[in-house]
Amino acid sequence: MGSRASTLLREEEIEEIKKETGFSHSQITRLYSRFTSLDKGENGTLSREDFQRIPELAINPLGDRIINAFFPEGEDQVNFRGFMRTLAHFRPIEDNEKNKDPTASEPLNSRNNKLRFAFRLYDLDRDDKISRDELLQVLRMMVGVNISDEQLGSIADRTIQEADQNGDNSISFNEFIKVLEKVDVEQKMSIRFLH
Amino acid sequence: MFLCYVLKTASHPFFLHNPFLYNFAVDYGGSSQKRETGTCHRVTRAGNSEGERGRKVTEEKSHRDKGRRGNIKERRKGIKEKYEVEDECDEDAPKRMKNRDNKKTRKNEEGEKSKRKTKIKNVKEGNDGESDDVKWGRSKKKEKAKKKKGKQELVEESSESESFSEGGELPEKKEGFTQEELEQLKEAVDEKRKLIITLKGKPWPMRKKLVTLRESQQFLEKYEGALGKGKGKRVYACKVIVMKKWMKFQRDLENFKTACIPWEMKIKDIESHFGSSVASYFIFLRWMYGINLILFGLTFGLVMMPEALMGKPYGSMPRKTVPRGEEGGAMDFAVLWDFGGYAQYSVLFYGYYNNQRAIGWLKFRMPLSYFLVGVGTVAYSYMVVIRTMARNANRDGGGDDTSFNFSWKMFTSWDYLIGNPETADNKFASITTNFKESIVEEQESQKDDNIHLTRFLRVLANFLVLCCLAGSGYLIYFVVRRSQKFALDGLENHSWWERNEVNMVMSLLGMFCPMMFDVISSLENYHPRIALQWQLGRIFALFLGNLYTFIIALMDEINRKRSEEDAVKLNMTAWEAGLYNGTSVGNASGPVPVHPADVPRGPCWETMVGQEFVRLIISDTMTTYITLLIGDFLRALFVRFFNYCWCWDLEYGFPSYSEFDVSGNVLGLIFNQGMIWMGAFYAPCLPALNVLRLHVSMYLQCWAVMCCNVPQERVFKASGSNNFYMAMLLVILFLSTLPAIYTIVTIPPSFDCGPFSGKNRMFDVIQETLETDFPAWFGKVFSYASNPGLVLPFILVMILAIYYLQSTSKTYKVANLDLKKKLQTQNEENKKKNKKAALKAAAELEEAKNAATCRQETECGESGQDRDITTSRQDRDITTSRQDRDAPSQQLSRGKASVNPLFPGLYTEMHLTGKQIRIPHIKRRAQQFLVVVKQMHILCAFALL
Repeated sequence: MGSRASTLLREEEIEEIKKETGFSHSQITRLYSRFTSLDKGENGTLSREDFQRIPELAINPLGDRIINAFFPEGEDQVNFRGFMRTLAHFRPIEDNEKNKDPTASEPLNSRNNKLRFAFRLYDLDRDDKISRDELLQVLRMMVGVNISDEQLGSIADRTIQEADQNGDNSISFNEFIKVLEKVDVEQKMSIRFLH
Repeated sequence: MFLCYVLKTASHPFFLHNPFLYNFAVDYGGSSQKRETGTCHRVTRAGNSEGERGRKVTEEKSHRDKGRRGNIKERRKGIKEKYEVEDECDEDAPKRMKNRDNKKTRKNEEGEKSKRKTKIKNVKEGNDGESDDVKWGRSKKKEKAKKKKGKQELVEESSESESFSEGGELPEKKEGFTQEELEQLKEAVDEKRKLIITLKGKPWPMRKKLVTLRESQQFLEKYEGALGKGKGKRVYACKVIVMKKWMKFQRDLENFKTACIPWEMKIKDIESHFGSSVASYFIFLRWMYGINLILFGLTFGLVMMPEALMGKPYGSMPRKTVPRGEEGGAMDFAVLWDFGGYAQYSVLFYGYYNNQRAIGWLKFRMPLSYFLVGVGTVAYSYMVVIRTMARNANRDGGGDDTSFNFSWKMFTSWDYLIGNPETADNKFASITTNFKESIVEEQESQKDDNIHLTRFLRVLANFLVLCCLAGSGYLIYFVVRRSQKFALDGLENHSWWERNEVNMVMSLLGMFCPMMFDVISSLENYHPRIALQWQLGRIFALFLGNLYTFIIALMDEINRKRSEEDAVKLNMTAWEAGLYNGTSVGNASGPVPVHPADVPRGPCWETMVGQEFVRLIISDTMTTYITLLIGDFLRALFVRFFNYCWCWDLEYGFPSYSEFDVSGNVLGLIFNQGMIWMGAFYAPCLPALNVLRLHVSMYLQCWAVMCCNVPQERVFKASGSNNFYMAMLLVILFLSTLPAIYTIVTIPPSFDCGPFSGKNRMFDVIQETLETDFPAWFGKVFSYASNPGLVLPFILVMILAIYYLQSTSKTYKVANLDLKKKLQTQNEENKKKNKKAALKAAAELEEAKNAATCRQETECGESGQDRDITTSRQDRDITTSRQDRDAPSQQLSRGKASVNPLFPGLYTEMHLTGKQIRIPHIKRRAQQFLVVVKQMHILCAFALL
């Protein structure tokens, strides 16, 4: 597989991906072999079914959301570039990247972008706000039918009440950041072996 | 192996470990290790590229080609092999291949292992609702743990970056190492070397020279080794191997530690289905098991074993022999089950021990050891209970930030590493339970009924309960009195009811009063957790009555035995005289040896007390298990299977499945422990029995809960370390040591059995030891120290110290609460302010927009072709201000936000800094508080002893 990865992937492509995502050469080839092993159709792209075959995603109540995050709007195939772009969110932030001058464009793995990624999992209609309905949907996925609608509604209300700062009854991205302020997102949303 | 580590440290959160990435990690576990361990590149990297290359073998490419590719890869990261690889790759390619294959297989094995481990880990993590590392930081504790891990990683990372990017000239971080880059590195090394040589002649200030020298030396040290040149190479390799082994060992140790917590999985499993209140019982049970294990170790190791091994054997003296009259049935099961016969005359009971001062070749001081172990058991229990209470108090004192309680639950509760459907089910259950718990908390905190009505009802309920308790107390007193009278008359003359009156009344009370309390407590409308505590307290009071009757009965029995003993003593002298007379007639050469079984002996009240306790424990255990089997298991079976053919719905209707009775079980456990503490002095086997009982209970109850109970309707949150249980345990401990100490101090020991026979009081053994085993001056010092003139002031000082510490701790507590409150109100105020500001901003924005459009319209109409400079300037002003308002986020980047009240971010910042200033303050206070609490508890422990 390793050889296939390197033979199928042209050097220029690797260079481009490297620039875009910050992954190293060997990481890219490794991820490529993973990509091809997931690709059962062998057509160079992954479909939703390919992702659903991963057991961790299959049993995850939010699995569909995560899978969705890989697909650009309106498409149901993702190529290796897209795959890598999504994965780049999970690259750890390295020390030398932290003190880079702030004028440069933000890398995909910055704290902000990591949070943005998480935020989008909840923000279904992509209006940059998590509404009560969206929260309810997620809750429903997480607890199944064990809790009554009414109670779920009150949970969603409470969540919004906690997080909402400007009184629009939904959670904006800024408020989302505020909520997760104390969570060590840089570390948690990093996959160490992608170092 | 590494994977487990990653799973732990990388503390995934969220989807963050995307599962397929995670799979990826499994596949390449070996390779990722490299990056993790930094300096180990050399060894591991080689292994990995081998792994990749191994596959290439099938592709039928030339060896040479492969060698090259491997080469490039190695260089990308493992700069060091440069020379050797370059030199060898052409000629030695086949040989190297072999080598690599070896390594590859090893690697694969490791991969396998890590896969397996991950699986296990996964299941475990999924199971425990709180699997700290994996959850997206919810509580402080977790955060702390993470921070620790973070630090660990930091260290690793730093070691890595040191080895790699020293001086910053090397772009290794980018990893794309090609030949040229390696050349560059080599050049850099050469350059440094040259620099060191020529440094002397450089026209630099001394400090700069020194710094440069040090830097370049370090650099050389690192890279010479890495490049495989010079003497540093071997040292380097050794260092790498040692480092790697050490890391692996540390990871193993961590995993081992978590795997060592007994029953952790079971308890987590229960917690995820039944909530933390049920789990708190099992955690308490486990804690109790630990204590008993240590008590068992003490008695077994220092009392039972030495006597069994070094003491006189069975049958050598009267106290160690079954008397002639009982010999016939001494091996009957019924007798043994009742702890009579051979069981009675064995190391299990007090009476068996000899009063010989030192036994065996070790000169083991048996009576002293017996006494000290008895005292030590109690002292140790006090210490452990008090220490645990103090620790729990500390934990409560910390308090955590719950302002985003629901949000965190919402966004971070799923564990994205779960890959096993069963674990996923558990996780589902635990998330649901978790939500249910917080709903209950929320409802309780928002409840505001008629306060007067609740107050009245609560007073009424307490009054009723008091009546109940007083009534049952009087009943117990009455029945005990009556039974004493019956006992004096002789039991044979009375009916069965009269003989068993006390027991029957006690069990009836124990059965019905808790139910009554339950009904009464529904009046009170408390939060379920507080209701549970009330319930526990009330049943506790009831059980005290039980204890009281038991002790009264025991005391009566002891007194009876002692009077019997006096009679035996008289007979004894007569018997001895008779024996002497009988022998002196036959031959004058001394008394005829009498078989020890024939010697008449006293009743030995100590053994009797021990037997009572052991019987009590056994019967208690049996009742618990039988009620468990009948009340829970059979009922569940009945409900489950007869539901198919019954007129009403059994599952939701009348019998239904039982709920787990937390209060009853906790109390059972606590009282059982009280019995152990009371009886352990007279029956050294009690702790062993208790360990056995708790062990079986753990499995049996875990099974029963999972298989035949249903979760409570209102699942509520209870902390795992429940100080309320501990407080009750402390009370029981105190109450149960009182009678034990009373008997030890006031009643003289039996004359012919036990380690203290022949002494006036049991504690005389201390005196004896002081006199014979210690130098004379020691005894003198001791007698001075125990002078009341010294002891009384000492006690006084201690009381004063306790008082002082207590009052300081109280003030700290108050201050803590105050500060917390302040923080909270500030928080809320900020929120409100933000909302207001946002609304105002929106209004202003509208206004400005309107104004601007008006202006533009008028301007447009007014100046067709010739525009005034001033107006155009105004125009520009307006547009800029509009931009400002339209895009608040832009303002932030321009740094204007701090002056512009429009943007809520400003408040956020202010709020944050405020918090940062205050937190250390609070922490300091809290720490002071904790220290005080700790000191207080230690003092209390001393005072009690």
